Amino acid sequence: MKIGKARKNISCFGSAELMRERGKNCLPALYLSLHEGLKMAKTDNGIRICQGLLILGNVVIGMCGIALTAECIFFVSDPHGLYPLLEATENNDIYAAAWIGIFVGFALLALSILGIVGVMKSSKTLLLVYIILMLITYAFEMASCITAATHRDFLTPNLFLKQMLERYMKSDTDNNNDKQMTEGVTKTWDNLMLQNQCCGVHGPLDWQEYTSAFRMTHNDADYPWPHNCCVMNTRSEPINLDGCKLGVPGFYNSNGCYDAISGPLNRQAWGVAWFGFAILCWTFCVLLGTMFYWSRIAY
Amino acid sequence: MHPLLLLLLATAHGLDKLSYKPTLVGGNVEGRMTGSTFVLEQPRCVFDSYSTANIWLVVATREGMDAFNDSAQPGMPEWSFQRFPTNTSAYLTLGAMQYHYGCPKPDRELTVLRVGSETDCADNISVPNCNGPLPGPGPYWVKFLALNGSEPTATTEWSGPITLKTAREPQSIPGTGGARSGAMIAITAILSVLLAILLAALLATLCSSEACGVGSFRPDAASIRRYNTHHVYDQPAARL
Repeated sequence: MKIGKARKNISCFGSAELMRERGKNCLPALYLSLHEGLKMAKTDNGIRICQGLLILGNVVIGMCGIALTAECIFFVSDPHGLYPLLEATENNDIYAAAWIGIFVGFALLALSILGIVGVMKSSKTLLLVYIILMLITYAFEMASCITAATHRDFLTPNLFLKQMLERYMKSDTDNNNDKQMTEGVTKTWDNLMLQNQCCGVHGPLDWQEYTSAFRMTHNDADYPWPHNCCVMNTRSEPINLDGCKLGVPGFYNSNGCYDAISGPLNRQAWGVAWFGFAILCWTFCVLLGTMFYWSRIAY
Repeated sequence: MHPLLLLLLATAHGLDKLSYKPTLVGGNVEGRMTGSTFVLEQPRCVFDSYSTANIWLVVATREGMDAFNDSAQPGMPEWSFQRFPTNTSAYLTLGAMQYHYGCPKPDRELTVLRVGSETDCADNISVPNCNGPLPGPGPYWVKFLALNGSEPTATTEWSGPITLKTAREPQSIPGTGGARSGAMIAITAILSVLLAILLAALLATLCSSEACGVGSFRPDAASIRRYNTHHVYDQPAARL
């Protein structure tokens, strides 16, 4: 099957007088040209199907690119306010993966349009440019997926526990960077404990089992655990401070905050990783089809 | 002679030994033992017959328990909280009139005594009965002492040893890194294989279309087609 630019000239029907001249000798030529015509029609259909499939594939890639951009913008905007915790662990590569995802999404949209134009025009140069740029985009998106999946595995409860004990309400900070990270962690934990009605990573006993920076400035008798662990009334005061200090059920929050932290972070990591993986599998098929189509174009 | 004298002295003092043993509060109160406080059940229905007495709590170390003299007075510096445990091995605190521990125990209230909750008087020697935070993990023994004026009238038994929590350093928290999950390995492996296949296909495509080294010339790929024009058929007919 060749995809030629010029149509074959069926010269038996070229001029009327020649046909009358040859009489029945034109019949074999007629038969041959009809056969060629039918084959061209079938290959024409084949071409059309191939083009249609490639255009469909590129349309899907374009839409997935938009979806990937939107999803990654949502994650980067940090709706749960957990970024300071990751920044303080110096392990914020899930956010880097989301940033790469934004640009990859735009690139996929642009390249899919290029691909559709190239397929419709059957242009070898356009399609070659398309294939090379798509491979580069493929590599970036692969990096983003693997980064998101790998760094998700680092986010264990003990990581957050250690960070909370060492940084929450730390009063003696070494330098500006340390001070910023400490303030970020303190503010984030305060918000977490108030909004999710939780305390510590596993529970309030985290503050009892381990010494902490909090314990340096707040004595054990008055603050067995931070007062943000107490059940609050509408004016953000504990409803019964003695009950909270005693640990009486109903006056303090006994559940840990780890679910409130790991839920959004897991969703972000798996959202970037698995959606990117799906896009890449589809892109793989489209790219193979494009390469096959490209190799069949005649100059 | 001596034993008789001692017996007379004991009965003259009128000190009753009650069989009640002070206990920690039940398990659903999460702060029952912290690093410097613990929570006891109130001695309800124990001192019913001593309605005029003041009930004091005695907190002691092991030596204090062995050497404790029931004629201790709450205001005396020998039994003050601030000198505990370096200069004295026991102190009295949490004094209350007997009617605070009335019988029966109210049904839905939590009746507890938190030992160690007052932090403002911990260094104030003018408050020797301060219920200050305990200075170390212990172990401590406690008992209740009923005093009528300055006369001890009743005492409970010593409790079992109460050892407070010792906190660990956060550096001792194990394993802050995570193991590789199966999903991450699957993603990495599959994507790497797909990228390799794509690169191989690109090389194959480029090499088959242009002459990059070895390339076999396939006859059906020839772009020149044989055109059967009418001239070819005409000539044999013309010759015939």
